[in-house]
Amino acid sequence: MRCLVLLLALILVPVGGHAQSVSNEDLVTALSSDVVSIQSNFTGTEIVIFGQASHIARQPNDPSGYELAIVVEGPPQDITTRRKGRFLGVWVNREAERFQAVPSFYAVASSVDIGMMADRTVLDELGIGLNHINLAVSGVSNVPLSDRDDFRKAFIRLREEAGLYSEQETSIEFLTHTMFRTNIPLPANIPVGDYKVKSFLFHHGEVVSQTEESLAVAKIGFEQITFELAQHYPFFYGVLAVMLAIFTGWLAGVIFRKD
Amino acid sequence: MQLYLPIAEIPVNIFVIFAMGGAVGFLSGLFGIGGGFLLTPLLIFSGIPPAVSVATVTTQVVASSASAVVTYWRRKAIDFKLAGILLAGGVFGSLIGVILFDVLQSVGQLDLVISLSYVTFLGAIGGLMLFESVRAIRRRKSGSAPSARRPGQHNWIHGLPLKVRFRRSKLYVSVIPVVGLGAIIGFLGTILGIGGGFMMVPALIYLLRVPTSIVIGTSLFQILFTMAAATIFHSMGTKTVDIVLALTLMIGGVIGAQFGARMGQNLRGDQLRLLLALLVLGVGLRFAVDLLLIPDDFYSIAIRKGAGS
Repeated sequence: MRCLVLLLALILVPVGGHAQSVSNEDLVTALSSDVVSIQSNFTGTEIVIFGQASHIARQPNDPSGYELAIVVEGPPQDITTRRKGRFLGVWVNREAERFQAVPSFYAVASSVDIGMMADRTVLDELGIGLNHINLAVSGVSNVPLSDRDDFRKAFIRLREEAGLYSEQETSIEFLTHTMFRTNIPLPANIPVGDYKVKSFLFHHGEVVSQTEESLAVAKIGFEQITFELAQHYPFFYGVLAVMLAIFTGWLAGVIFRKD
Repeated sequence: MQLYLPIAEIPVNIFVIFAMGGAVGFLSGLFGIGGGFLLTPLLIFSGIPPAVSVATVTTQVVASSASAVVTYWRRKAIDFKLAGILLAGGVFGSLIGVILFDVLQSVGQLDLVISLSYVTFLGAIGGLMLFESVRAIRRRKSGSAPSARRPGQHNWIHGLPLKVRFRRSKLYVSVIPVVGLGAIIGFLGTILGIGGGFMMVPALIYLLRVPTSIVIGTSLFQILFTMAAATIFHSMGTKTVDIVLALTLMIGGVIGAQFGARMGQNLRGDQLRLLLALLVLGVGLRFAVDLLLIPDDFYSIAIRKGAGS
């Protein structure tokens, strides 16, 4: 039995190595749109990611070790996670942990369970999967070391509940042996900014090819003008709001005048 | 119909927001109050971020008080000098309020302070109003005449220095309590997103002895300008005034107020005060329950920097 295993290994290893050196696994991806515009009727949307991985000869239900993962990442944010505790009979925020430069949006799609794709170290390094995102914490924190993991889990859970973090394993669909597609839903509350779409082609647990594309999420038209006015000319925006309010109130006072 | 709010950065059902504005407007017309203390919690409970709710309601209060001020102005029921001094205090209080709002938000205790303040102020004022209105109803039922208040009656406030004469209100009183009252209400209004009329009116009547015919117009006039200042301070400080949300609320509010005012004329004053007292106590109780019950989720998150903060 042991001889047979050894024999198989001897046969397989050179073949595997041969395939890697000869075949040049090119990964090509494209987005259904590189701009997501937010207007007054925006209630969320989805983007479709198409791609082709040449020379992979992947068989459905019998993967030859080739697997795909696609990560969509929003612009970084600093986010404080707080935990309530009882203080003088009242529930108040007690401990806080600040996560720095974490993605404001994170969605991962894969062709197989993420854990089966590669080793933990590889996934951690690339940030593939909700359990593998790099969540750096600030040095100042009143959270005991033993509770750090609870904060991390709570953070991911809350972001998942808000629809901003998601993991869709086995959601990459192969149209042919080499062509694939997947849909990533973008909820209505996505933050604006520059997004990255990273695609990884794995072969027996190692990345053999990867692509990165950018996706812009931006407010346009009235939404953009209003937002920029509020951000860049706050005094003017405030005065405008007050004038609008006084005018509305005055108009109502005139329209509904009783005498 | 879903509408995306440019500052809150979430879509809301515009008809729901409009109806909320209308319902609160109706109550404010019925009771002659601004309604901020009802609208802010309603918005928070419906999922609008607390900072946006508070800042935007200050704008809505501008509209609802402007609408009423027009009427009182026509009736010459405003003491401009008194309102002006209250306003000076109010603007100062509002400025302190915005600064504290920012600080509380960054240390994560804003929600707690808002809840505790609601419990304290609504509880106290609702309790007093309930007590007063029940007594008035009893007195009416038993047929005894209410004891007439003597206009010349003085209290400790009238002994303070820096006295000023207010001709319209027929008052000769120190400016210290006037500025102080304006500042406290401006401060609370900015932190809590309320106009503070339900605190200002009793304070003017019972502490300063302003004639009741002048009180409401003067209080509304000063609330209008304090909340206008608060809107501008919020726009510059927290940048959380959502103009689309504000406009929807104000249109609903001014329409609702007209119907409320008409219905209010068919109800007795003490009955109205009893209903208002129960309403105020109810809102206060709702906040108290949230503070005391074990929360559904112990964790919460707040964006501090970067996209969407």
